[in-house]
Amino acid sequence: MKKQLLELTINGRTHELASEPNALLLDVLRVDLGLTGSKRGCDDSSCGACTVMVDGTPMLSCTLLAASCEGQSITTIEGISEHGSLAAIQKAYGDWGGAQCGYCTPGFIITVKHLLAENPDPKDEDIRSALSSNLCRCTGYTQMYQAIKAAIDAEKKGLASM
Amino acid sequence: MSLSEFQLLRPRSIEEAVGLLSQHADRIRVLAGGTDLIPSMRQKLFEPQYILDVRHLSQLRGIHTQAGEGVEIGALTSLREIEQSTFLRKHYPVLTQAAATVASPVLRNMGTIGGNICLDTRCLWYNQSLQWRKGCGFCIKKDGDLCHVAPGGTKCWAVFSGDTPPALLCLQAEVEIAGPSGIKRLPLSEFYTGIGDNYRKLASNELLTRIFLPQSSAGYNGIYRKLRVRGSIDYPLAGVALVMRRSNAHIADARVAITAVNPAPLLVQGAAEALNGQSITAELADKVGVLAAKTAKPLTTSALTPEYRREMIRVFTKRALLEVTGGG
Amino acid sequence: MTDNRRPTTTFSTIGKSVAMIDAAEKTTGAGKYADDLSLPGMLIGKILHSPYPHARIKSIDTSRAEALEGVIAVVIGPDAPNPFGILPVGHDEHALALDKVRYVGDNVACVVAVSESIAEKALELVDVEYELLPAYFDPEESMRAETDLIHDNKPHNVEKDYHHAFGDPEKAFAEADYVAEGRFLANEVTHAAMEPHSTLASFELDPHTGKPGRLIVWSSTQVPYYLQHKLSLVLEMPMQQIRVIKPLVGGGFGGKSEVIPLEIIAAIAARKAKAPVKITYTREEVFWAHRGRPRTIVDLKTAVKNDGRITAVKARVVQDGGAYCSYGVVTILYSGALLGALYDIPNIQYDGYRVLTNKPACGAMRGHGTVNVRFAFESQLDEIAAHLKLDPAEIRRRNLLQPPCITINGLRVQSYGLPECIDQVVTRAKWTERKGKLPKNRGLGIACSHYVSGAANSIIRSDMPHSTVNIKIDRDGGVVVYTGASDIGQGSDTMVAQVTAEVLGCSLSRVHVVAADTDLTPIDIGSYSSRVTFMNGNATLRAAEEVKKQIAAAAAKKMGCAPEDLAFRDDSVKKSSITTDALVASALSTQPSVSGRVEGQILRGSLQQKRKDEGPKDSMSFEEAVVAAIDFHGALTGTGSYAPPPEARGGKHKGAGVGPSPAYSYSAQVAEVTVDEDTGEVTVHKVWAAHDCGRALNPVSVEGQVIGSVWMGMGQALTEEMVWKNGMLMNPGLLEYRSPSSVESPEVEAIIVESIDPEGPFGAKESSEGSLAATIPAISNAIYDAVGVRLHECPFTPERVLAALRTKKSAKSLNLTEGVDPTSPVRFREHGGALWFKGKGPERHALDPARRTIHAEGGAD
Repeated sequence: MKKQLLELTINGRTHELASEPNALLLDVLRVDLGLTGSKRGCDDSSCGACTVMVDGTPMLSCTLLAASCEGQSITTIEGISEHGSLAAIQKAYGDWGGAQCGYCTPGFIITVKHLLAENPDPKDEDIRSALSSNLCRCTGYTQMYQAIKAAIDAEKKGLASM
Repeated sequence: MSLSEFQLLRPRSIEEAVGLLSQHADRIRVLAGGTDLIPSMRQKLFEPQYILDVRHLSQLRGIHTQAGEGVEIGALTSLREIEQSTFLRKHYPVLTQAAATVASPVLRNMGTIGGNICLDTRCLWYNQSLQWRKGCGFCIKKDGDLCHVAPGGTKCWAVFSGDTPPALLCLQAEVEIAGPSGIKRLPLSEFYTGIGDNYRKLASNELLTRIFLPQSSAGYNGIYRKLRVRGSIDYPLAGVALVMRRSNAHIADARVAITAVNPAPLLVQGAAEALNGQSITAELADKVGVLAAKTAKPLTTSALTPEYRREMIRVFTKRALLEVTGGG
Repeated sequence: MTDNRRPTTTFSTIGKSVAMIDAAEKTTGAGKYADDLSLPGMLIGKILHSPYPHARIKSIDTSRAEALEGVIAVVIGPDAPNPFGILPVGHDEHALALDKVRYVGDNVACVVAVSESIAEKALELVDVEYELLPAYFDPEESMRAETDLIHDNKPHNVEKDYHHAFGDPEKAFAEADYVAEGRFLANEVTHAAMEPHSTLASFELDPHTGKPGRLIVWSSTQVPYYLQHKLSLVLEMPMQQIRVIKPLVGGGFGGKSEVIPLEIIAAIAARKAKAPVKITYTREEVFWAHRGRPRTIVDLKTAVKNDGRITAVKARVVQDGGAYCSYGVVTILYSGALLGALYDIPNIQYDGYRVLTNKPACGAMRGHGTVNVRFAFESQLDEIAAHLKLDPAEIRRRNLLQPPCITINGLRVQSYGLPECIDQVVTRAKWTERKGKLPKNRGLGIACSHYVSGAANSIIRSDMPHSTVNIKIDRDGGVVVYTGASDIGQGSDTMVAQVTAEVLGCSLSRVHVVAADTDLTPIDIGSYSSRVTFMNGNATLRAAEEVKKQIAAAAAKKMGCAPEDLAFRDDSVKKSSITTDALVASALSTQPSVSGRVEGQILRGSLQQKRKDEGPKDSMSFEEAVVAAIDFHGALTGTGSYAPPPEARGGKHKGAGVGPSPAYSYSAQVAEVTVDEDTGEVTVHKVWAAHDCGRALNPVSVEGQVIGSVWMGMGQALTEEMVWKNGMLMNPGLLEYRSPSSVESPEVEAIIVESIDPEGPFGAKESSEGSLAATIPAISNAIYDAVGVRLHECPFTPERVLAALRTKKSAKSLNLTEGVDPTSPVRFREHGGALWFKGKGPERHALDPARRTIHAEGGAD
């Protein structure tokens, strides 16, 4: 199939590439752009390991056509670290055991980033509900809750010290 | 699993979209949220030559109210927007409840109300990879003429598994369909055929564009109950929607609809007649529950046994009735 | 209790919760898993699978596929015909089928192409002619088979059966006050690790011959060394010509603990295509590769005295093992052996049958072999407690072992934290106060379990150490640990770093771990049966002590004291007489300049002269001490290895090799549930899980492992089940195979119990598997407490619970098409040999071979 020229905005940078119309965003990210942080875990749009933000909203990059995302702003896990340092949520996931094998982690980080952007002080059930978009097979989710709370605390302290 | 090859068409207007549909009818599929179409294309359930990408048709997005005339919802409005709409929650609570149960938050960010209405019917023998389906000799819905669910039968029993349509049926919603001969409106209850492999009345050159909720359905108390094994990322295995308006201690008007137990979402016939003018009792609730269960014809298209799913239609209906009257 | 034993000041790194050393790679997405890797000129491989459960391959024609533009090679069985299998007794697999396919999904051919989509297209062009054979889906029917055997050398399709009797079970049953008897059924579950298997294989060109030389394989494996070994066997290459590298692995749980066909196929494909080849499974293929926990029928009989003392256990276990041996022989032995070592059971009879069926092979899965039998046992113990009117916690306390001891079936038990585990969960859950007093339909259940800390006898019969670790320290003071241990997300790299840092008294950031690369790291038999902390940890400890000894000898000379008088701590070496406070003060005042100076001294190579000028000191920085030990030579190195002691290796009976472990972990759990009487839905509110891990080297990690085990057990208890219809897996995806989401996952309170094992590294034992098995019966027992029904079949789906409730009430029974009555497991029978595959139903798909035949014969579409 003939490739077509495509312009995608990913993590604030514009990429021009040639891609087939049936290419999924996930494949373009991983194969064409080498952004392998977004993972493929299923084939039926169920696991959430490929979650990215499209115009600030979490979506499954395995269920989006890359060409359909032209003109939208995409944020992948590679765009989450802040100023070359771990974002609070990334640090907290490490400290509190929120990531074990790490395969689902990028998807969860995107999901949680969005949750906290919408609601900086979520209740327990808000967190539980938000995380239900992504499957994890290692943690049983419990330590993720601890990590998220730690990240919220860290953000609050960070704001207080500013 | 890669998608088969196609040309991507990105219309800028509804007119252009309908034009393209007419031009490529039978060789084209509409892509909205993609949460149903893309996984199905991976499984080679659809191998269209053209994909009509309507994701960016902003005219078809949003919840618009007109005083005294009910609500108009663009077909591309995400399920998340519906779930979070304070207006809908206040006036059409059954719809926000149903929308909030669909799949998972991320899938609701992507999935649209139009897509949920148009959702392809599902079956464990159908929603499988090409390689898998080869192993069973294919099925009547796709590539074969054997039904594994009702062997010997010639009817496809693939089950309609949308969560919002039973709520919309209760609300007496209408859908707007744009086609080559213009725009038409029909009640949602007439949109479905009840046949698993030809489940909706939407020609390949037509586009579902808007959903209308009548003013007369506003303010009904409502409830949606979904049977699922997992708390998230699950299609319904059975679902019951109920709306009710009361006057004093009596039920002024009530409707019950069920999903995920037939090839179409269905209003439970006779439920309104049994309920209207009555005050609710456990016996009456159970009677309507039995009525709903009789409407359900589940087969082994999904996880859990048909008997259990039908029984849950009864239990959920009964409970919903008791709950909505207890609380309202 | 715990606190008395936990030293308060002895350790600097051990016992502290630290982030995994690879945490940032994981949270930023920078870390590379196998499928994230690519090489220049890399091709993509796709595997053609059998559509039939049992068939002879009459012919394979690859010519149409090979003719497709973009296809580089098509690989079939004869390209690498040597058989292999994880167990030496089970070499019954081929990378690609030679003559027969044995399950839907069996591997038939592999297409190598320039892209995934072309490879997929080419799969449809491989023409395979099959002759269908009768297939076996039910283990009990399969055992009666006389003809069309799945493997010709396995009569009656029995892979292996074992019959053990320890003590005098018959006598004990005759003398029992009460005998409980029942059939339990656990349906098949799978690992469902988030990362689908992936392998990248590439040949290096040999500069001397100019031909393909060494094979490099990056693979999602728990067992790099076994992979290297099996590749050598199948590709007929010497092991030293094969390098296996394990990148980050996205979860294993046993599913990557043996050599999976794609790992070998990728190498064969790379050889034939003369280019690097990557194969990544689709999720469906992961389900076909499987190796999960087999569906198991347990007929269990337990004899007790009126006081609740267990006098005998009789178990007949039938495992539906699928089409290949895999770890099956080990699984069926574990199921019997691990009846011992939890409670004191003086008489045991065990009859185990591992049966072949035409389904994907089952293998090792978290809690390997013990889980389904433990579900039966702990459920039955609960029934017995109810019958004898004993508290379910109390009956467990009355059957405790008295370690150190050797059980009737030859298992040596030393550290034994089970009593404390029971005490802990009883206290935390307020068991005594709340049991029986909860609101209607809410209940509490208790259960216990245990697991090995690695097998005392490795599956390869050899006297080599099970783990070996090298440590290198160079003049920069950096400590590099070379370990063969495979971190699959459980945190073994971090464990290795912590143990090293503790022994050398250095900071964690000074330690760098090079792991699981057969060129660089010494042989380690892999990450399975929870062996890594115990065995690789011990090897690391020994390696670190060896380098420490060298450093201490040199430092002691400098400091004018005996090496024994030196303490390694806080990145320094000091005389033990110096107080920590003084040391910290001196470190604060001198460290920055010292380290700068040392760097200069290294360059000039005259540190010794400098030291002489300064005279003996009370402490040295770690760098100084290292440089002193290295002197003017090269880097310091040390090696440590671990082999289980002979005393721990078990008895002499046939099959005695499986079950013995140098140490066992223990778990006790209380689950609190609510059951909806109208729907049968079970909600788990909370699980209290106390786990005796010997010592928690990294508590946050131990808790994570315990919670993860409990949670996975809950999945098996409530939602997870592989559903089969005539050999077709009906739910080969994460949408329909329902591992729990966050919404219904309960809070799990992990309670660490430290029994300080005499042989574990710093007293540590396993923490990743032992807790899983208790969760299923704890939930089952809680359901019984809540609504009075005893469930004999897991998962406890709402319909099974509701059916049991209806039966109890003798209300209008729920007529489920699939049986829930454990005494007549209809679901099993239903599968028996029905063969509608034989061409019934005209197939219409354009790609179906049957259709082409019809067309050729002029038949109608």
